[in-house]
Amino acid sequence: MAEEELYFSPSPHIKSKTTVPWVMRQVFLALLPAAVGSGYFFGFRYVFPSILISILACLGFETLDCLIFKKPLTIYDGSALVTGMLLGLSLPPGSPFWIALVGSGAAIILGKQMFGGLGQNIFNPALVGRAVLLISWPKAMTTWMARPPFALLPGAEGAEVVTTATPLTINQMNGFPFLQELDPQILKHLFLGQVPGSIGETSVLLLLLGFLYLLWRGVVSWHIPLTFFGGLSLVVLLGGESLFFHLLAGGAIMGGCFMATDYVTSPMTRRGQLIFGLGAGAITGIIRLLGNYPEGVTFGILIMNATVPLLDRILPPQFGGEKR
Amino acid sequence: MKTKTFPGGVHPPTYKEITAHKQIEVFPFPERLVLPLIQHTGAPLEPIVKKGDAVKRGQKIADVDAFVTAPLHASCSGKISSIEEWFHPVRGKCLAIVLENDGSSEEERRNPLPISEIENQQPQFLREWLREGGMVGLGGAAFPTHVKVSPPAGKNIEFLIINGAECEPYLTCDQRLMLEEISKIGIGLRILARASGASRVLVGIEDNKPEVIARWEEFSPHLPLPVEIVPLKTKYPQGSEKHLIRAILNREVPSGGLPLDVGVVVNNVQTTWAIGRMAEEGLPLIDRVITVSGDAIAQPKNLKVPIGSLLEDIIPFCGGVREPLKKVVMGGPMMGIAQVSLSVPVIKGTSGFLFFQSVWEKKEYPCIRCARCVNSCPMNLIPSWLARLSEFEAFEEAKAARALDCIECGACAYQCPAGIPLVQLIKLAKSEIIRSSRKGGD
Repeated sequence: MAEEELYFSPSPHIKSKTTVPWVMRQVFLALLPAAVGSGYFFGFRYVFPSILISILACLGFETLDCLIFKKPLTIYDGSALVTGMLLGLSLPPGSPFWIALVGSGAAIILGKQMFGGLGQNIFNPALVGRAVLLISWPKAMTTWMARPPFALLPGAEGAEVVTTATPLTINQMNGFPFLQELDPQILKHLFLGQVPGSIGETSVLLLLLGFLYLLWRGVVSWHIPLTFFGGLSLVVLLGGESLFFHLLAGGAIMGGCFMATDYVTSPMTRRGQLIFGLGAGAITGIIRLLGNYPEGVTFGILIMNATVPLLDRILPPQFGGEKR
Repeated sequence: MKTKTFPGGVHPPTYKEITAHKQIEVFPFPERLVLPLIQHTGAPLEPIVKKGDAVKRGQKIADVDAFVTAPLHASCSGKISSIEEWFHPVRGKCLAIVLENDGSSEEERRNPLPISEIENQQPQFLREWLREGGMVGLGGAAFPTHVKVSPPAGKNIEFLIINGAECEPYLTCDQRLMLEEISKIGIGLRILARASGASRVLVGIEDNKPEVIARWEEFSPHLPLPVEIVPLKTKYPQGSEKHLIRAILNREVPSGGLPLDVGVVVNNVQTTWAIGRMAEEGLPLIDRVITVSGDAIAQPKNLKVPIGSLLEDIIPFCGGVREPLKKVVMGGPMMGIAQVSLSVPVIKGTSGFLFFQSVWEKKEYPCIRCARCVNSCPMNLIPSWLARLSEFEAFEEAKAARALDCIECGACAYQCPAGIPLVQLIKLAKSEIIRSSRKGGD
């Protein structure tokens, strides 16, 4: 019982078990069903290289950055793992390997490390990577490979893979009735994931499964996803388009549940989160309905990311009644 | 059970099962007692005895001519062997009266307060009576009780809340008192209601103590005034005054204000017990019940100890330490203070001593803005932002972001997955803000 060995530290003397790597592991786990499912939908050799390269390149770029700037190695916090996974899942199946490589570089170096690393970045790194790719190589980023027996591939019998348009593109070019004619069960196929689209974004079912897991684990709350879908719904209804189609198609579920909910780039207050979600969803809808791009999730979230420092300041929570 | 609560807060494991069913044991008078002259929030005391004096148990030994203070009494009979600097569980070191127990049981008791006459006493008389008894809040902050029940002119106290939440993990001393000494608490409650002028009395108890709630629901109708038992959701910091009021009455104490500002006075159950005992037995605040617990103590206990008992004497009575002893905390694990010496005495605000075999540490990461601190903050602050302002010494901004509202409950730091010492940083900002305003900044 040597007194000099008594350990002194400030309160609290007990701590919860939640740590940063634990949080990152949960998000990674939640994305696994969509990742594995993509192999089933598109064929393993068209999706796994992109996912693997993205993850390894993100870890690699972060290591490189730490080495060059002589910082402690930070890859064990798990955030680069999640960024790599999210980026990989948002690429088109069968895209060339350098797409994943360049995207990872943009995500980690431009999107995260240049701001000062984990916690400091304003924009969601995976979306920065994707936006850079989308603007720089629009063709590679909008060439959608798919394989039979997808319903949206008329005349593709016998071919192993074909390139095709996504439901959102068909909807934008030819309207929803035409799409329904092509695939009368389009909503069901969107829900299950049997449509052309980005690797991990097509199966609403598998994404929601992962999201429910995060809700159950207390990693995310409903505030941002619900308002995101609310904002999107509002614009879609005002524009007179099919609500269910827009909620299920493209990256809406992936964006609303996994990208917009990124801790670092979303507001910390409840009120801020509600406005953030609403804005990101509404901008997504506006781009989809009025913009050149058939999909608006990437820019919808990135634009709202820029408002986060403001939202955190102008809506501080209050406590305390009037002094009597 | 229908329970009330407040927004925010956290759910740490309670660890109360270790001592919850252990009856209060009486710790025998040790050979030596050490009574620091700082026991409470307010003006420090001055000794009114000198080295070599013989004193009786219950005799006043220190006081000072100030309103926000409470006198100190000898907790056993004996001789003043010295007045010297001693280890203090909160202040590090402080002047203390050292009392050698002479083994005799000489006592100085006041006249008991006629129990049936409580409701006919003048409030001002009761307030002075409380001050003379050295009554302070026994929940931890040790604020003088007579000050609490003296509303300034123009303000009225409508509600008296008896705080039986005991939301800190490990601690069970209040819980045991509420079961074992219920009638004394009932008397204390009547005195507090009369002294403060409160017309309604509410007793808040967390729902992890159902046997206490049941016992009180059965007991309260026998009291001569209406007393409502309010079951509370088990959540930390439910026992904080402001959050007890928020939960029970749905009123928010204004920033920088007191419960008085919303017509409420809150008193801890153990304080209420001590008041009841003084009324019945004429003994001032010279003992209290503490919880001794944790994985590094052989026999965890609820103990009734004389104020001034030294930790090093209490340890053998609890079966000794289970090595390796790494950390000793006075109070609960959320707000308690780590001790550097085992020679510290029990003071009026000591709710317990916890002994730990391991130190709970988390690897530190950058803030990932997960908002767990925001969601758990019972004061609706943004702890991570305040901590960052503190780090960058932006104390004026921290003040504007309501840093002074922080009650230092530690819910944010408990939750933080990045292991950031949030409360510590906010405390630093608070002390800097207070220092600069004392210097005449504004």
